[in-house]
Amino acid sequence: MTEQRAPDVVSITIDGVGHRVPADSLLIKAAQDNGTYIPRFCWHERMNPVGMCRMCLVEVQGPRGPMLVTACTSNVADGMVVDTRNDTVKKAQEGVLEFLLANHPLDCPVCDKGGECPLQDQAFSHGPGESRFVEIKRNYEKPIAISDLVLLDRERCILCARCTRFADEISGDPLIEFKSRANVTEVNTFPDLPFSSYFSGNTIQLCPVGALTAAQYRFRARPWDLQMVESSGLHDTAHPRLSVQVSQNEILRLVGVDNDATNHGWLSDKERFGFQYLGSEGRLTTPLVRRDGELVETTWADALDRVAERIGLIRDEDGGGAFAVIGGAHGTNEDAYALSKFARVVLGTNNVDARVDDALASHFLAATADRALISDIDTADTILIWGPDLKEEHPTLYLRVRRAAQELGVRLVVVHPRATGLDDRAAIKLGYRPGGGFELLDEVADGKHPDVRQALSAERVVALVGQASFADGPKLAESVAAYVRNKAGSARILPLARRANIFGALDMGLAPDLLPGRVADEDAGRAALATSWGDMPAVRGKDTRSMLEGLDSGEIRFLLLVGADPARDVPDPRQATLALESAEYVVAIDLFLNDSNRDADVIFPAAGFAEKEGTVTNLEGRVQKVNSIAPVPGQARPDWEILDDLAERAGRPIGLSNDESIAKEISEVAPAYAGISWDLLEWEARDGAVVPLSGAQPLSHIPVALKGDKAPSAPLILHVARTLYDDGVMMRHSQSLHPLAPGAVAHLNPDDARRAGAQEGHLVRVVTKHGEGEFSAVLDDGTPPGVVYVPFNQPGAGSLGTEAVVRVTAVGK
Amino acid sequence: MTTPLVVTKRMTEFPADSHTIDRYEETGGYEQARRATGMSRDELVEEIKTSGLLGRGGAAFSAGLKWSFLAPSRPSYLVINADESEPGTFKDRQLLERDPHQMLEGIIITAIANEVHDAFIYIRGEYPKPARRVQAAVDEAYAKGHLGKGILGSEYDLDVMVHLGAGAYICGEETALINSLEGLRGEPRLKPPYFPAAKGLYMQPTIVNNVETVSNLPHILAMGAEEFIGLGHPLDTGTFMLSVSGHVKKPGNYELPHGITWRDLIYDVAGGIPNDRELKAIIPGGASSPWFVPQIHLDHQITKDMCAEAGSMLGSGAVIVMDDKTCMVRAAERIVRFFAHESCGQCTPCREGTTWMEMILRRIEEGQGRAIDLDLLLDVSDNISVGLGWPPKMTTICPLGPSAVSPVLALRDYFREEVNAHVELGGCPLRPVEVHA
Amino acid sequence: MSHWSEATQERAREIISRYPQKRSAVMPLLYLAMAEEGYLTNEGMEEVAAWVGITPAQVQAVASFYTMYKRRRTGQYLISCCTSISCMLLGGDDVLHAVEDESGVPHGETGADGLLSVEHVECIGACGGAPAVQVNYELIEGVTPDKARDLVRWLGSAQPEVVNTDEMQELFGGVRSFDWAIRDESGAVGPYPAFQPLGTVGSEGNA
Ligand SMILES: Cc1cc2nc3c(=O)[nH]c(=O)nc-3n(C[C@H](O)[C@H](O)[C@H](O)COP(=O)(O)O)c2cc1C
Ligand code: SF4
Ligand code: FES
Repeated sequence: MTEQRAPDVVSITIDGVGHRVPADSLLIKAAQDNGTYIPRFCWHERMNPVGMCRMCLVEVQGPRGPMLVTACTSNVADGMVVDTRNDTVKKAQEGVLEFLLANHPLDCPVCDKGGECPLQDQAFSHGPGESRFVEIKRNYEKPIAISDLVLLDRERCILCARCTRFADEISGDPLIEFKSRANVTEVNTFPDLPFSSYFSGNTIQLCPVGALTAAQYRFRARPWDLQMVESSGLHDTAHPRLSVQVSQNEILRLVGVDNDATNHGWLSDKERFGFQYLGSEGRLTTPLVRRDGELVETTWADALDRVAERIGLIRDEDGGGAFAVIGGAHGTNEDAYALSKFARVVLGTNNVDARVDDALASHFLAATADRALISDIDTADTILIWGPDLKEEHPTLYLRVRRAAQELGVRLVVVHPRATGLDDRAAIKLGYRPGGGFELLDEVADGKHPDVRQALSAERVVALVGQASFADGPKLAESVAAYVRNKAGSARILPLARRANIFGALDMGLAPDLLPGRVADEDAGRAALATSWGDMPAVRGKDTRSMLEGLDSGEIRFLLLVGADPARDVPDPRQATLALESAEYVVAIDLFLNDSNRDADVIFPAAGFAEKEGTVTNLEGRVQKVNSIAPVPGQARPDWEILDDLAERAGRPIGLSNDESIAKEISEVAPAYAGISWDLLEWEARDGAVVPLSGAQPLSHIPVALKGDKAPSAPLILHVARTLYDDGVMMRHSQSLHPLAPGAVAHLNPDDARRAGAQEGHLVRVVTKHGEGEFSAVLDDGTPPGVVYVPFNQPGAGSLGTEAVVRVTAVGK
Repeated sequence: MTTPLVVTKRMTEFPADSHTIDRYEETGGYEQARRATGMSRDELVEEIKTSGLLGRGGAAFSAGLKWSFLAPSRPSYLVINADESEPGTFKDRQLLERDPHQMLEGIIITAIANEVHDAFIYIRGEYPKPARRVQAAVDEAYAKGHLGKGILGSEYDLDVMVHLGAGAYICGEETALINSLEGLRGEPRLKPPYFPAAKGLYMQPTIVNNVETVSNLPHILAMGAEEFIGLGHPLDTGTFMLSVSGHVKKPGNYELPHGITWRDLIYDVAGGIPNDRELKAIIPGGASSPWFVPQIHLDHQITKDMCAEAGSMLGSGAVIVMDDKTCMVRAAERIVRFFAHESCGQCTPCREGTTWMEMILRRIEEGQGRAIDLDLLLDVSDNISVGLGWPPKMTTICPLGPSAVSPVLALRDYFREEVNAHVELGGCPLRPVEVHA
Repeated sequence: MSHWSEATQERAREIISRYPQKRSAVMPLLYLAMAEEGYLTNEGMEEVAAWVGITPAQVQAVASFYTMYKRRRTGQYLISCCTSISCMLLGGDDVLHAVEDESGVPHGETGADGLLSVEHVECIGACGGAPAVQVNYELIEGVTPDKARDLVRWLGSAQPEVVNTDEMQELFGGVRSFDWAIRDESGAVGPYPAFQPLGTVGSEGNA
């Protein structure tokens, strides 16, 4: 389904040299792919051409003699003869350049773009040197903040419409637009309505001059001072490719790297600006131990020995069943592998879970047969999204699906309890009461939604399934996937989960029922692994929720938290908090103190993103290399190193000597990862390699539970879902983004609000059986009557738990 | 000179009520539309093709041929271009005000020929009175069942709607007009597609025709293509309207057959130059067109081809006459200022270049000109209209930017001395300098 | 939650229903917004955005493209003097100066008392009756500087509620582009074109 028909090819002549090029290509691209760079400003490979800057003028032989055409708007044609550098073309291009420079300020020395500015480059290579423009230049107020993240310097703008097109066509947030016309045309926002888009940072990267700059980066560095390394972003489980740029040991910016596989070069603002936590004051830099109730700094040896000793003690007394490991999704595959091995071999337990409770079943995430590739989105006939609002939780996929629906004619079906960011592009949108997903699925299966059925019977169907609401049980997604699969024989499924490297972690066995390499934790799998790992526990492990229950009941005594904050991050934080309080001994490996590890007995400071090398695996199973460029703060160490040292001291060494050798070990013991090496990823497969689904269970074997729970019939039910910006620990330490989280808000349908006596911005009290809190009311047509939508984990917001039925009362202004 | 009037006949004969439906029907109105309801698309397209009717909006493209390009997908739309904003042009205003039913009948014929059921009349916002007259006519036509469901007793449905512009010359360019009608900025679209007939309003096949063009249609059907051809020039059939303004004794609109000379037009039809001054320059086809001068062009015939041969065009039929007291730099500045002000701003050369040209011309006029300025002006022009030829070899999306070059060509070809005199004198030799912001 | 009067909302609904696609209604709705508040405010643009389902920034992109959507409060009478080529040739600049001088309002500005706004405009399609002037887009052709002064004085003293093109032409006009023939009874009540039913309301529209 991903292979495309071989494009027809035509012959064209560029500057006297013949080329065979795809028949459907634009001249500018065909020339570029054959080594002729035609200068351009407005054209961008990932956006529709507008032909506005006129820089790419070239001469084409037409029926009535040579014609000047813009290469960015001209399709190639068989027999086309093109001249890209004769005198006419040169004169025209130099003319355009002169026009652009006429009103352009000469502030290159203080411009962030200086040194990497196409306009500056062109002016050097083609420019006339001295300006013939002796009139007064256009004048605008110096940079205006068009959002909290982006500054606009209109004097520098060359009106190429890249930013406005991106906002409108790519991200679907047309909040910056041209204003006025003729010589006073400018880019601007509407007054008091900032460019608050999750994708605003892309415009900075797209801007060919220094008109759009990042508030956070402005004046921080000159391009020639930057060192950079390519890597993959982990805020988003698509793992967008990016470049990490550093000056004087400090990460200054991330820049998207264009690739076909994942992100087309785009990054969400969370990805782009969220790195700030790495340099935050709050980073842990030394091991901490609890002494007289206080966490105090200590040496690595002391901290490790204490933990090793306690492990030995509990292991001897109660065996592996007394241990629990939660987390591990934030590191590399090498870290996750070390943790998986550590849990099984050193702790002797299968109680290990990287999902921290709110994800789908681990076998479904890691081993769904016919898993779709991200690129399948482009070639699908129908895309079904029944899961989270992609704009909030999967921004890279959001852009990809948006483009498919808008530009590629893909039919989009969105099923979600309330409005989502893709509704405007959906051919069909179905809503349902949170918790009532099974009823709807039943209806669809019964033929009550013939349009959906018809859309799903197309030849190429891709279903993106996940948990749309905390009220939906995790089984719903599996049933949806199974239904789609039965309906359309060649359907492909993309199970959705968030959390950094969660798919890599599951592939490394960080789940109670999985071993490295997407192998079920069953006798056969264990036997194969035993030659390398030795003895392993055969007892079935617990998932996060059961582990928390085990802690509560005292069955589990020792908890290892690896980059996890269940007290904040699970749907029912109260339960998690109580469980954490009853734990006998808590050890954490983390970058920060958080609500879950604040009372830990020992905390090890960990290395973070861009501070270590390794591999990661995204939601389609693509393994990519991540690289280090920034120094580790203080005494922090990568997870695997900490775990290896601890194993050694606990008397059961796991033999991990360095990161690359771990990768090698993975490729040897994890069947799906055979053949994956750092070498491969660094040289031949820079966009990564998709690991095969060996061991995957075809979904049709899973019984389709069409009948599930019914949605509660109460007049108001709660819909809790995640937003891109929240109060998670990394967000809290990213000073640019944290203020952008929506905060304690409850979205009400205007009718429900009226009934509750609440107006926009009024305080309302929302009460469930498990919690209550005060929220600022947002009146919102996107939230259907009878539903109260509360974004999860917001600064200043209490938690409401998972109980679906709510009561809302107005408190006051 | 006796001229057979066509589109202005009724208003000339019945000045008091030519705009009413009663008068219109009394004088044979809507009969051709009624006939058209019984005709096929092919018949109609063929008839208009044969008539040789050229578009009167400026580009002078065969109306029938344009209709024949209509892409097969439906719905198709019709948009009447009543945005008339080219300096010097005011003919459509007269047709709209004085004989709106004639246009409506033309609309019905065009709609049937192009299988259109929704037509729009895009009238420039500065024309409220013409818009009111047209709206009143539309209302009358609806009331009589000439528009709406089952028009003129047929099975054919046609809705016509008047849409007001809001002050942007570029919206006269047909693709900009379509964008404007879609609620977008009035920016011309990329070509190809070269005609909205392929992809126009809402990306559907769309016919855009000028007011005068469609006003001719009932007459062509009534008299037959042959007779229509006989009215005019073999290559430029029928009559056409000329708007004459500037330094003439009798400015106004004149409906004429092609083929008279500029001398006839200016000295005979328009009564000559006031105060018997000398003729200095003629703008033959609206502000976009390159200028003519009496020494060379006065006895040229007014036809599309003669104009083209002489490096200009009849455009929208706007003739602007300038006498010997007129400062050519000032006149050029005024025209360049217009294009700079009306540029949609998309194309770098048009947006930046026309404003730069305006600044240079203003400087020269105000006495701050430098010896090199005319050459600079020409070179800047060359970067908008490569080679400074006609029709222009554009570096832009639409012809607006290159249009601004026309007056500069006149300065180069005929008035170099006058420009130099400005520079040497430090001011205008013809008129004391006034400085306006 | 519209801020518009019920009547304006009704017209907005009707306008939108007439177009095949909602967004096409932006221009007439912008005129409505102007008529509602006298000029185009940010709130007016937000309102239009809500009606047609686009962002205020998109509405602003459109509104700012056209010269007739006035973003600043405009006088009761907007006097537009054409200074394009044909009018310039016959003294359009002098007419503009006379208007500025008599009213004390420079072009591009509005008088302190809010009565008059003066602007110079590009060609308004009245070249055969040059120089031409419009008051609230109602045309007067063949205006001399002296007549222009009379016009300004008349607007100040008579303060007509409705300006009518034929009346003004009789009082202050001269040469016309063509015979206007029959009188038009409608007229403008504000600085926007008086046009019914889908544009703004003119004198007849209030009846
Ligand atoms: C800058 C520019 C302005 C134009 N203005 C007008 C106009 O005001 N009225 C008009 O009918 N055509 C105008 N045109 C021509 C139209 O694009 C189009 O050719 C015409 O409306 C087609 O109608 P016709 O074939 O009946 O002439 C303009 C073209 C350009 C490039
Ligand atoms: S030439 Fe001028 S008016 Fe025409 S599209 Fe380009 S910028 Fe706009
Ligand atoms: S790159 Fe082709 S016009 Fe801008």
